[in-house]
Amino acid sequence: MTELPTILIAEDDDGHAFLVEDNLRRGGIHTSFLRFCDGQEVLDFLFGRTTEPMFDRSRAYLLLLDIRMPKVDGVSVLQQIKADPELHKLPVIILTTTEDPREVDRCHQLGCNIYLHKPVTFEAFSNAISQLGKFVSLLKVPRLKTEA
Amino acid sequence: MNSDLPAQSSAEIDAVVRELSDIKAALDAHSIVAITDAAGKITYVNDKFCEISKYSRDELLGQDHRIINSGYHPKSFFTDLWKTIRSGKVWKAEIKNRAKDGSYYWVDTTIYPFLGANGCPRQFVAIRTDVTQRKEDELRLKFLAEELAAKNKELETIVYVVSHDLRSPLLNVQGFGNALVRACGELKEKLQSVDDPDVKRLFDTEIPRALRFIGAGIVKMDGLLAGFLRFSRLGRVALQIQPLTADKLVNTAAQALRYQTEEAGAVLEIGKLPNCMGDATLLGQVFSNLIDNALKYRDPKRRCVISISGRIEDGHAIYSVGDNGIGIASEHQPKVFELFHRLNPKKTQGEGLGLTIAQRIVERQRGRIWVESRPDEGTTFFVSLPAVASREGSR
Repeated sequence: MTELPTILIAEDDDGHAFLVEDNLRRGGIHTSFLRFCDGQEVLDFLFGRTTEPMFDRSRAYLLLLDIRMPKVDGVSVLQQIKADPELHKLPVIILTTTEDPREVDRCHQLGCNIYLHKPVTFEAFSNAISQLGKFVSLLKVPRLKTEA
Repeated sequence: MNSDLPAQSSAEIDAVVRELSDIKAALDAHSIVAITDAAGKITYVNDKFCEISKYSRDELLGQDHRIINSGYHPKSFFTDLWKTIRSGKVWKAEIKNRAKDGSYYWVDTTIYPFLGANGCPRQFVAIRTDVTQRKEDELRLKFLAEELAAKNKELETIVYVVSHDLRSPLLNVQGFGNALVRACGELKEKLQSVDDPDVKRLFDTEIPRALRFIGAGIVKMDGLLAGFLRFSRLGRVALQIQPLTADKLVNTAAQALRYQTEEAGAVLEIGKLPNCMGDATLLGQVFSNLIDNALKYRDPKRRCVISISGRIEDGHAIYSVGDNGIGIASEHQPKVFELFHRLNPKKTQGEGLGLTIAQRIVERQRGRIWVESRPDEGTTFFVSLPAVASREGSR
């Protein structure tokens, strides 16, 4: 059985963070979630500058990353992750409020794996998130450390 | 008198001299004139020269032109000047000079070398025109253009940021609205045994109605924000202007709307269209929008007929999309291109952006869009774009 990755949610809006997690759970994703309120928090975690929670390189993670966040925005976070020799293997899904084609292009260039627009029309948001849930459950997320 | 030359009467010589002095008078009347010797010493200035430089003739004669040097031009500018005229060629440029009182003026200058018998310049005639006003206007224009570009950019950024930031809380209203819908559903199940008519009314009518209005409001607002974002993005997309086969472009747009056309029972008549210069994708959007509008604002009393034709006029391809729909009253016509203006918000769908975007697209391609309409008879939209130059057209 494949172990589901721990889902990291980097999202400054409390409501969005709750809805994403809630919809994923309803979509059948039973795993642990870690919430970060801005880009700096998630970078501190990923680069091992925090002890609680502590980043465990032997486990599988998936990052849901919002673009517009205070302090360090999502694009910078993505840039730093993809520039790191080990962290670049971490799957990143960009969750964003607007689908600005320039922004989409930029994130793809930087190596984001999936770009998901937060839809607002009836049910679409939860549909997208639960689709994401199905996808996540199928995804073989690489561990960052190849040898244990 | 040299016996080799044909004898000339003094009357003939007088006539030539008079002619030359008339030409000089004409030149003096129009231009700022100075003459220097081969070394650059000023030997002649006309009144206009004195007037603009604010030096008297006595102060100027015997000086060289450094007296009016403004320091604006690099040394190489004057090195090039001297190299050119010393080799016997004409030199032209715009020069910034300084008058005696320290004020600056710009002159469009031509220096013409007069060659001596040995082929070397013996003197130089400088003819200048005052272009100070034009230079100032150019600077002002450049400044205004830069300011306008900055303002536009600022406006687009504001529109973008505002739309983005407004959409964020809207997502919460929607998401938690859904949570309420779900919670009410569960609650209703649990309260099935309760027979209170007030509880029934709340769950069957009041709560669903409130949630329905909230949902509709969200969808509406999301549409407006999406429209805003689309509009702000338009100013940033790079145009790909090329010769376009308008027949193909319009037919593709019409084809994409075939379902709506059939549903409306409309007839689309497309005549032979001249080609134009433009961006294929964006102009396709314009024609789709115009056809779509003609379908939306049709008159239910008669069969909808949309006719598209075109002609070439004065270097422009002018297309018309005409319908026999409900028409637009003359007092409303100027408003149709306004942002979010809708004539029939209740009856027709849309965010009220189509024509605003169409206008923006056409104007960015140096074109024009306008409307002619009579209520109860129909509306015709005209789009004028640069025609394909005949050389390019024959390729």
